[in-house]
Amino acid sequence: MSRLTLSGITVRYGGVTPLDDVSLAFESGVCGVIGPNGAGKTTTFNVLSGFALPVAGSVDLDGDDLLAVPAHRRARWGLRRSFQQEQVVRTLTARENVLLAAEHSGSPAADVDRALDYVGLDRPHRLGAELTMFERRLVDIASCVVGAPRLVLLDEPAAGLDPAESEQLLGLITRIPEEVGALVLLVDHDMDLVRAACGTVAVLDFGRRIAAGPTLQVLGSPEVRKAYLGIDEEVTA
Amino acid sequence: MNLLPFVVAGLVIGSVYALSGVGVLVLYRTTGVLNFAHGAVGGMAALLVWQMVELRMQPPVAIALGVAAGAAIALLFGLVAGPFLARVDQLRKAIATLGLALALLGLMLFVWNDKARTIRLESSRISFDVAGARVNVTQLVCLGLALLVVVGTLLALRYTSTGTSMRALASDRELAAVVGTNVRLVENTAWAISGAVAGVSGILLADQTRLEPAFLTFLIIPELAAVVIGRFVSLWLTLVGGLAVGVGQSLVSAWPTVSAFSTAVPFVVATIVILVAARRRVVTVRVVRT
Amino acid sequence: MSQVFLARADVRGALVGLVLGLALALGLPALPGVGAGLSLRTLTVCAIYALAAAGVGVLYGRLGLVSIMQIGLVAVGGWVTLRIYHATHLPFEVVMVLAALVTAVVGVLVGLPALRLSGLSLAIVTLMVAGALEVLVTYAGFPNGGDGFLGRASGGTLAAIMPRPALGQSDDDFFRYVGVAVVVVLALLRWLLMVRPGRTWAAIRQGEAGAVSLGVNTVAHRLFALAVTSAVTGVAGALLAASSGILDPASFKAQQSVLLFATVLIGGVFSLLGAVIGGLLFYGLPQLLSTVGVDGNLVFVVLGLGLVQAITTTQAGIAGQLGGLWRRLRQPRPRRPREVTA
Repeated sequence: MSRLTLSGITVRYGGVTPLDDVSLAFESGVCGVIGPNGAGKTTTFNVLSGFALPVAGSVDLDGDDLLAVPAHRRARWGLRRSFQQEQVVRTLTARENVLLAAEHSGSPAADVDRALDYVGLDRPHRLGAELTMFERRLVDIASCVVGAPRLVLLDEPAAGLDPAESEQLLGLITRIPEEVGALVLLVDHDMDLVRAACGTVAVLDFGRRIAAGPTLQVLGSPEVRKAYLGIDEEVTA
Repeated sequence: MNLLPFVVAGLVIGSVYALSGVGVLVLYRTTGVLNFAHGAVGGMAALLVWQMVELRMQPPVAIALGVAAGAAIALLFGLVAGPFLARVDQLRKAIATLGLALALLGLMLFVWNDKARTIRLESSRISFDVAGARVNVTQLVCLGLALLVVVGTLLALRYTSTGTSMRALASDRELAAVVGTNVRLVENTAWAISGAVAGVSGILLADQTRLEPAFLTFLIIPELAAVVIGRFVSLWLTLVGGLAVGVGQSLVSAWPTVSAFSTAVPFVVATIVILVAARRRVVTVRVVRT
Repeated sequence: MSQVFLARADVRGALVGLVLGLALALGLPALPGVGAGLSLRTLTVCAIYALAAAGVGVLYGRLGLVSIMQIGLVAVGGWVTLRIYHATHLPFEVVMVLAALVTAVVGVLVGLPALRLSGLSLAIVTLMVAGALEVLVTYAGFPNGGDGFLGRASGGTLAAIMPRPALGQSDDDFFRYVGVAVVVVLALLRWLLMVRPGRTWAAIRQGEAGAVSLGVNTVAHRLFALAVTSAVTGVAGALLAASSGILDPASFKAQQSVLLFATVLIGGVFSLLGAVIGGLLFYGLPQLLSTVGVDGNLVFVVLGLGLVQAITTTQAGIAGQLGGLWRRLRQPRPRRPREVTA
C-alpha cells in the first residue's frame, strides 16, 4: 500500500499560475486526475516528472521526497510516465523502445520481455515508425511497467484510439497495480474510461483542487458537474 | 603603453559589429532566421562597390548601389527560400543560411579571388586628433550610424505599422497571421532591411579592416557574439555587446604575446554569456501543455 | 536470438557495408588506373575526411546537433599527433589514440556550455571556435621537430617530418592502412549506434521530454556523443598528419568546416555511407574540378546551394536516395503501403 501526497504545490510561469496551493493525496490502485482544459492536470504531472519546478510545496511518496530527485533520476527512483502524444522512438524497434526504458531506470534487460508479454504486442522487432497508433500506446504502457515502478503517470493514454482499443488498454491499465505494485495516476477527458479505471479521483479547476474522493461520489457532486461535466457534455455532444 | 588608440579603434570596429548585429537581430526576431550569411552579404556589397569604383563610377553612387545590392541579395534569398524555411525549425533555418554564406563566398572568390584589396572611403582621408588618438570621419560615421540605427530601429518598431507587424510576428506568428498581418510582406521587408544593413556594415568594415571575401564573411562571428550578448532580444545590449567585443579584440591585439588570440574574444565572450544564461534558465524542457 | 539479430535490416546493412568497405580499402590500389599516382593520394585523403564527415553526420543525424568546427578539430588532432610524435617518437598507432583522446577533450570542453542551451547555441559557438582555431593554427603552425611548446623549427634547424606508419610506407600500402583504419573506426561507430548509446541518442532526438522521463541524462549523453565524434575526428587529423608528415595551416580554414557540414548534409546524415559520400564531395570534387580546369571556388557555390536544398527538402541526402533506389531495384513491384491510421 503506497501513498502519494502533494502538499501546497504552487507553480508559476511568468504571470500565470497553473497550480495554486494544490494539495492532493492518492492511495494505491488507479487514481484519476480530471478537470477542464487548463485546469493544471498536465502541470501536476510535470511537477511529478520534474519538468516544472514548484515555487512552493512538497511531494512525498511513502516517506521519499520526490522533489529532491533530479528529473532524469526519477525513472531510476521508480517513476514512469506516458505523454498525451506517445513518445515511441520511430527509428528504434518496439523492443528497443522498452529496452531503453529498462536500461535508464536500472531495470534488468530480461524484464523487457515480461513487459512486452504483459501488453501482448506481437512482432516487437518492428520499427516504431511501422507501428499503428494502438501498438505505440502498447509500447508506452510496456515502458511504464518495465522494472519495478512505484508511480506510473498516464496522460491521456487512450487518445486517438477507437472504443475497442480503448477497452483493451483499460484492461491493461487497471491491472498495473497488481502486476507491478505501482500507484497509477491517470489524466483523461474520457469520463467512461475514468469511471471504469479509477477508484478515486481528484478534480482540478483553474489550478485549484475543487473535489477529491471515491470516483462515483465525486462525479455525482453538483460542484463538479457545474465546473467540469457541463463542459464535457458540450464537447461530447 | 598608451591604450587609447586601441580603445578608439575597438569602439569603431565594435560599433560596426553592433550595427551589423542589429540587422541580424531584426531579421531573427521577425522571421526566426538567424542569418549566418550576413557577413557574406556585406562582403559582396563591399566588393561590388570596389568593382564599380574601379570602373570609374562616382563613389557615392557606387556605395548606394552596393547597399542596394546587399538588400537585393538578402531579399532574393528570402523570396526563394522563405516559404521552405517557414516550415522548418530554427536550427535548420540557420543552417540553410550557412549554405547561402558558402555560395556567396564561393562566388566572391571565383570573381575576385582572395587577394586582399582596399577601399578607401573619401571620409577616411579627413582625420583629426582626439586625446592623442587619430580619428577619421569614417570612424565617426561608424559610431554615429550604430547609435542612429539602434535608436531608429527602436522608434520604427514602435511607431510605424511595419514595425508593429514585426513585433507582432516576433511575439506570436500564428496570432499575427490570424489577426490579418501580411506575414510574407513583413518578412520580405525584414530581409531587405537586414540586407541593406549588412551592405552598409560590409562597406564600412572593408574600409576599416580589409576587403577580403573570407575575412568579411566570417565577421559574422563577432557580429553573432554581439547578438548573443543581446540575448537575441535587446537592441541596446546588442550595441553594448558589439562595442565590448570590438574593444576586447582591439585590446587583446595590443599585447604582442597574446595578439594571436584576439579572434578568440567573440568565442570567449559568447561562451561566458551562454554560461550565465544557462544558470538562469534551469528548466529547458519543453512539454506540451493543455 | 542471433538469428533475429542477423535478420534485422540495419544489422545486415552494417555487415554489407563492412565487407564492401574492407574490399574497397584493400582492393582499390590494385585496380588499373587507380594504383599509385595522384588519384590514389586524393582518394586516401577523401577516406580520411570521411571520418570527420562521419562525426558531423552522427551529431546531426542522430542527435540533431550542429557542429561547424569539425575541420578545426581535424587540425587539433593533427597538431597533437605531430607534437606527441616529435616529443616521444612513439609508434604512430599509440600517437593516434592519444591524439583522439585529446581531441575528444577539446570537443567536450567547447560543447559543454552550449549544450545546456538550445541547439542554435552549439551551432554559434562551434562556428566561433572554427574561426578562432583557424587563426590559432595559422599563428602557431604545425610542429616540425623544433623546440618549445609549439615545436616549431626555426632559423638554422632543419624541419623534421613525421614518417608514415610502418605498415603503410608506400602510397598503395598507406591507402590500405588508411582504408582499414577508416573502416574499423566507422564499424565501431556503427556498433555504438546499435547499442545503448545509439538507442539513447535516438530517444533524445525524438524528444527531450520523452527522453528525460525515460531516465536519460540528456546533457551527459550529448557530451558523450561530442566526445565520441571528436575522437573520430581526431583520428582523421592523425591520419592526415601521417599522410605527408607535415600539415599546412592553409588546409584548416573556417570555411572548410562549413563546407564539410554542407557535404555531409548533401551526402546524407542518416547513414555512414553518407559520410563517405561527404568525404568524396569535400576533398575529391574540388580536385576533380581542378584537373578538368574548373575553378575550385565554384564548388563552394554548388555545395552551398546544395546545402540549402538539402536542409529544406531531402532530409536523407544522396545516401538516402541511393538506399531508396536499391530497395526499389530489389522489389520490382513494391507492395502497396497499407493505409495506416495515424
